[in-house]
Amino acid sequence: MAPRIHNRRVSNALLPYLTSSQSSSTPSLSSTCPSSQLFLRQFSATAAPQTRLRRQMFQWLSTEGAALKHHVPGETNYLQGRADRDSDSHEAPRPFPGNRNFVSESVLSEELRNEVYVRVVEKKKSLRAVSVELGIDMKRIAAVVRLVEMERRQQSQGKPLALPYARAVHEMIPTTPLAQEGERQTFHEPINDLPAHPLTGAQIFYPVPESRSFTRVDAGRVFSGAPTLEKAVADKISHPSDLVDDIIQNPNSIEWVGKGENARQVLQPADVRIPHPQLVKLELDRRAFPNERRTVAQRHAERVEKQEAAEQQRRERAQARREKSVQHVEPEGSRFDYRIQDAKFTKETTGADGRAPWAPGRRYGVPSDDRKRGVVKIPTRVEA
Amino acid sequence: MRNRASTSLSKGKIRQSWSKYNLYNLQRFRNPATANRTFFQQKWSAKAVSRAYHGEQVREGQWKRMFSRRIRSVIPMNTSDLAADDGSKVSAGRGSGLKEGGPTQRSRLIPYTQMAFAPLERRLDVAIFRSLFASSTRQARQFVIHGAVTVNGQKMRHPSYLLNPGDLFQVDPDRVMYATGAPKTAFERRETRQLKQKSEDAEGEAEGEEAEAVEKPKDEKEGIRDSLKALMAQAKTIMSTDKEILPAKRKQELRGFQKAVRRVLSRSDTSTVLTDSLETQFSELTLLLKAKRAEKKPAKESKKDPKGEDTTPSAAKKSEETASGALSEAFQAAAEGGEVDTSELTDEEFDILKRALTQMRDNPIDNSKPYATPWRPRDYMSAFAFIPRYLEVNQNICAAVYLRHPVARPGSAEVPTPFGESISTPAYGWYLKRRW
Amino acid sequence: MVLRIRLARFGNKHDPFYNIVIAQARSARGAKPLEVIGTYNPIPKKPTNLYDENASARPYKEISLDRARAKYWLGVGAQPSDPVWKLMSMAGLVEQKPTTFHKA
Repeated sequence: MAPRIHNRRVSNALLPYLTSSQSSSTPSLSSTCPSSQLFLRQFSATAAPQTRLRRQMFQWLSTEGAALKHHVPGETNYLQGRADRDSDSHEAPRPFPGNRNFVSESVLSEELRNEVYVRVVEKKKSLRAVSVELGIDMKRIAAVVRLVEMERRQQSQGKPLALPYARAVHEMIPTTPLAQEGERQTFHEPINDLPAHPLTGAQIFYPVPESRSFTRVDAGRVFSGAPTLEKAVADKISHPSDLVDDIIQNPNSIEWVGKGENARQVLQPADVRIPHPQLVKLELDRRAFPNERRTVAQRHAERVEKQEAAEQQRRERAQARREKSVQHVEPEGSRFDYRIQDAKFTKETTGADGRAPWAPGRRYGVPSDDRKRGVVKIPTRVEA
Repeated sequence: MRNRASTSLSKGKIRQSWSKYNLYNLQRFRNPATANRTFFQQKWSAKAVSRAYHGEQVREGQWKRMFSRRIRSVIPMNTSDLAADDGSKVSAGRGSGLKEGGPTQRSRLIPYTQMAFAPLERRLDVAIFRSLFASSTRQARQFVIHGAVTVNGQKMRHPSYLLNPGDLFQVDPDRVMYATGAPKTAFERRETRQLKQKSEDAEGEAEGEEAEAVEKPKDEKEGIRDSLKALMAQAKTIMSTDKEILPAKRKQELRGFQKAVRRVLSRSDTSTVLTDSLETQFSELTLLLKAKRAEKKPAKESKKDPKGEDTTPSAAKKSEETASGALSEAFQAAAEGGEVDTSELTDEEFDILKRALTQMRDNPIDNSKPYATPWRPRDYMSAFAFIPRYLEVNQNICAAVYLRHPVARPGSAEVPTPFGESISTPAYGWYLKRRW
Repeated sequence: MVLRIRLARFGNKHDPFYNIVIAQARSARGAKPLEVIGTYNPIPKKPTNLYDENASARPYKEISLDRARAKYWLGVGAQPSDPVWKLMSMAGLVEQKPTTFHKA
């Protein structure tokens, strides 16, 4: 966009005192001025509302900043710091020249998004399998499926889509393409991210005899303040990933330590806490049996299947429990449905004096906090 | 709330906005001086500078309540490393790991303090800005307040709603196009006003403009050939990504293209197509093109059989094909007669024409819209265009999912901030100390 | 004295919310009841239909109820008020009240 009208009409011939410090910048400005406008300005008595900074800005926008005005399809077009300009190397694109730690990371391309949807919905693959195949986080895959489904529904309903906008955005930012037939798919993001647990923030001095092997399992116990494993139990664990199977089958089997409010589960080793623990097992198998690729793959498939079955069962059970506790009533002749939720009003749920803050229903004799300062008054959750 | 976000040049503060003033400020920004200043002063100025960008629309007290000293981080784990070592190698010796076989590569540092303003990224208005649905956080905030945003399918009118992992938010696509598209010129605005007036005036009157559209050419074959040629030429100019063609010029081309398309369509016998919506026009034209293409191939082998009916299996398609027969035949004749036309129908050109048609359908000229049509991104948008990984965005429907809270990882932090660690560290330090 | 199962209004102006309570018939609406056995939100909510298109589009109201306690109190002779009777009949705890007049 052109600068506001004032800028065009100002020329250095009229405002020598303003532009004297900017002698280098003025010729380009004055050259663009049409002469008719120049005359208009000459008879105006008001001073031009143009500050030095504004002039500098438009100067910059017309020279160095001009490249930022429009994008080149398929390339990022970010502001470049001095370091970027000097090196001119093909590094990760950084939108902020002052912040070396922020990288503009790629997004899923349209084709890859549709591929994810096809694999999950039409080919009925599990999220876990698709995640490993394409190198996309499981949460992202679930989100992509939701969004593409919504998109298709809107399309079938004839609602307008923002297609030119979508195309323009995908031209401006880096995207992860879908691999051509026969090519290897480039992975979108690391899928085995281990969240840093707050318990590991502490620096603990813990002397261990040199003769003893101190593994990740032991480290987790030390962090969570649990007693050392008995030798008989510890000897059974040849590798931390041996714990995975039991915990997948029954997540409640993790040991607890502490009492009351301090009760916490024992911190598990990284092998258990990463999103795809079966990949560690696969790697172990590969090392143990380097020549039996087929057997290794088969064992891996079995383990993954078992894990998915267990997860699916848990989900179904939770869903069934939720459905069982809610009764849907649709009375005839009424404008509304009713959902009757089972509740338990006992001493445990309402507290000893019947006015525990977590009790169902509104409370008697408890001051209402709904207008207090510092209390969140807007919704904190929206049911999907 | 009073808008203090006007991007003034004299203060030179960086805001969450795509304006060119902001771009200029971003470009000339220098870290505040630290020499000869007390630690308190350094923290103060770092805080002031970074708060102008992060949650400028949030009151200081509100932000201080949101602030959390806990910073989320993740370490990408390598499965082969995990398999190779159960941890005993790292803890062997004097606890510093064995010399051989231990992890030798130095891992990059995690920029923790860059995450100081991570709680603000949970806000709905900020998330909308980060998903590139609005050109500034203030605008995103307005969209929310005006009821153009839904969260999980329900209208959400609180810009300060804190998104939970898995929340799906959606903005009205028209607003997004308005926010991210180039604004109308004065001329276009006048056209819009006239359009509005016209529609108000001519609401009751019958449409007398129908007759004008149908103009029978004298020489059909010649006319079709010419118009198809023109169509091709215009399609090419429209699809060319040459920057030198000004938007106004492009628009003229598009209008001409539209007209040409209509002329071609008017020659096909189905007269209803003209009055129908753009969608049906488009489908009709692509159908024509397809028919032509299907016929082209057999035509080379046997010129006696111009209608390649075996190529279209469905009966419904056939009937439409016969409706467009006039054009196809004319085209066939042209292809037989002159050499110019055979060259016109190469696959490449067919593709270009198809693309131009698609673009015409998807990005039409529509003066009733509040942005310049055909839509194009606003100036300087590309300098600010990035989508952080904690959001999964679908631009087609202007919806996004907040996957998880932003995290730091070795070498990078997910909170988009224009400031380096020399600013974020003292700013984080400022909020660590409780002063209220 | 008669025991009643009735609604006690909470919430703000234009934003009602009810506890379903067991109380002495002559006690005040806002007085502390013998027991709370459920809640009733009369503000209808719209189903989002974000994922399931075929779901019923009718808005719904939420009730939560402790069935065991409700049965007990009905057994000892507590009398539901008319609105509570309506809610309880939907939960299947009491017979629907016959309307006093028949539709023509």
